[in-house]
Amino acid sequence: MADQLYLENIDEFVTDQNKIVTYKWLSYTLGVHVNQAKQMLYDYVERKRKENSGAQLHVTYLVSGSLIQNGHSCHKVAVVREDKLEAVKSKLAVTASIHVYSIQKAMLKDSGPLFNTDYDILKSNLQNCSKFSAIQCAAAVPRAAAESSSSEKCEQSSLQVSSETPANNELTTNGHSPPTSKQIFQQPKGIMGMFASKAASKTQDANKETKTETKEVTNVSSTGNKPPGKGNVMSNFFGKAAMNKLKVNLDSEQAVKEEKIVEQPPVSVTEPKLAAPTGLKKSSKKAEPVKMQQKEKKRGKRAELSDDETKETENMKKKRRRIKLPESDSSEDEVIPDSPGDYEAESPSPPPPPSPPPEPVPKTEPEPPSFKSSSGEKRKRKRVLKSKTFVDDEGCIVTEKVYESESCTDSEEELKMKTSVHRPSTMIVKKEPKEERKVPKKGTAALGKANRQVSITGFFQRK
Amino acid sequence: MTTLTRQDLNFGQVVADVLCEFLEVAVHLILYVREVYPVGIFQKRKKYNVPVQMSCHPELNQYIQDTLHCVKPLLEKGGGGGVWVTRFWSRGFLFLQNDVEKVVVVILDKEHRPVEKFVFEITQPPLLSISSDSLLSHVEQLLRAFILKISVCDAVLDHNPPGCTFTVLVHTREAATRNMEKIQVIKDFPWILADEQDVHMHDPRLIPLKTMTSDILKMQLYVEERAHKSS
Repeated sequence: MADQLYLENIDEFVTDQNKIVTYKWLSYTLGVHVNQAKQMLYDYVERKRKENSGAQLHVTYLVSGSLIQNGHSCHKVAVVREDKLEAVKSKLAVTASIHVYSIQKAMLKDSGPLFNTDYDILKSNLQNCSKFSAIQCAAAVPRAAAESSSSEKCEQSSLQVSSETPANNELTTNGHSPPTSKQIFQQPKGIMGMFASKAASKTQDANKETKTETKEVTNVSSTGNKPPGKGNVMSNFFGKAAMNKLKVNLDSEQAVKEEKIVEQPPVSVTEPKLAAPTGLKKSSKKAEPVKMQQKEKKRGKRAELSDDETKETENMKKKRRRIKLPESDSSEDEVIPDSPGDYEAESPSPPPPPSPPPEPVPKTEPEPPSFKSSSGEKRKRKRVLKSKTFVDDEGCIVTEKVYESESCTDSEEELKMKTSVHRPSTMIVKKEPKEERKVPKKGTAALGKANRQVSITGFFQRK
Repeated sequence: MTTLTRQDLNFGQVVADVLCEFLEVAVHLILYVREVYPVGIFQKRKKYNVPVQMSCHPELNQYIQDTLHCVKPLLEKGGGGGVWVTRFWSRGFLFLQNDVEKVVVVILDKEHRPVEKFVFEITQPPLLSISSDSLLSHVEQLLRAFILKISVCDAVLDHNPPGCTFTVLVHTREAATRNMEKIQVIKDFPWILADEQDVHMHDPRLIPLKTMTSDILKMQLYVEERAHKSS
């Protein structure tokens, strides 16, 4: 009786609604274990074929087994159409499993719709995606929300550091097609590596991804010139800038993933790794949709996070570059590159030292020492060549270059970085509210910082 | 004290952009599924997070793009809408009356008679409101469903005769004609008023494929199929 109901359901989906019914989709829709769903589909096909009712059914199968290729034995998992099933089976040395993957009325030309079918239902069942799955891992337990947010913060900072250097390298090498094709081949490894190191429930998706790749090869072999074209397709689709970013994301995410995941069962890891060599040769575009799916599903926030991170790092780099420009102009700079010290050199100067400098200084000089003591952060003393700007007796603004030993703090540098990035008209010095001096003549009226020994020329240089 | 940032979002433009992107993908997919062009010119691309087939023939792509570029202003039309956006929430209301009733992808046989018409009927809901955060992802989901339906439309349609070509028809309201002329001059892509024989199909069968309703867009896709294709 229950069987009858299921069969009617499947009949309705396939015949009336013209849907593609995959075993995964069926298991979520009816709330049954995947093995049961596979069995149901098989039953349905058998009955329909026996009845010979005339309704054309197309079936795809998932075949997996070991294959001897180039002397190496590898595990192959493929989704194949019914007409190719025997051919694929005969190629396998040992057939590990065959089951129905999907049933549909229409003959599918490629595997895209299969992915599309599963995408939405998987997305809506993200929290319990392994509920009906046959692949279980007792150790894979979702993290508590607090834990995951704090770990993401740590990863953010580590990502920022790690993603800079790879990005730099790629920018220099990625000039023309051979490097990009290398990138493409590296990328599948990255993706495959990610899949291999993921949690157990995710290996299903990895399997599917390799499956869809091999299906593409087995089914659409008539189209010919595929392998050389596909490499270029990938690069054409994304363009170089996006590829760099993507690679950076992948690398950083891979690094993060491998840090994060500790308790993976080794068995589940080997299977996708074995499948990976075959998958590598295939189009890496396939990896993209599933990878994007992975990103969305597994790391929902992570994708946006990593995008933001790379943007942040780029902004950081830009910020750094901007600040470095004034530095390079002052060629007599003797500062030993302590990283805070670099920024400090030519950017809006910190308060002058307490020791009275030889030339006349503005009246607000005494402020800084008191100010400094209040901030209470790390200080370093160095000799720095600085441009001092001050108003002399006649009321003219004078700029002089002078060696000074000064102490600087990290927060001051930060502030300087921030303020140096802003446009002059919007600059507000938060730390020293008293200096609202007008700066005539040079048209930098909005500065309001002259009496703080700011290097006005710094602004012009930065442009 | 929330500061009010005024952003003049033109909803017409947003909707037109979404729609034109979708139509481009749909046209490519129709050409692939109905085998209007050989399979070899198509390659897998990604849209709405799923694989779709797009042609890589430059002239074909250019033609489709030009076509939709001309359609886009008609979809946008509806007067400026202002949106007040505060820091914490956004709410926009706009009354739109777009010029386009439907966009039709017609597949013609060797004698230039239509065998199949994929009709995208487009309307905009009476009160456009973009107030939901997840609006665009919801729309994306609906468009994905359209893509899926086009991929399996083979099951409900008969095979086309060999040597088919395609064309795009746009059914508009009266007022659009003037706009079209302006657009043509700008884009240098001539449109002509369709002949009766291009539009009229003898004894068509109607096969509905998909309908969607969302806050910004209502669309229906159905296929008109000629009863006897090979005659």
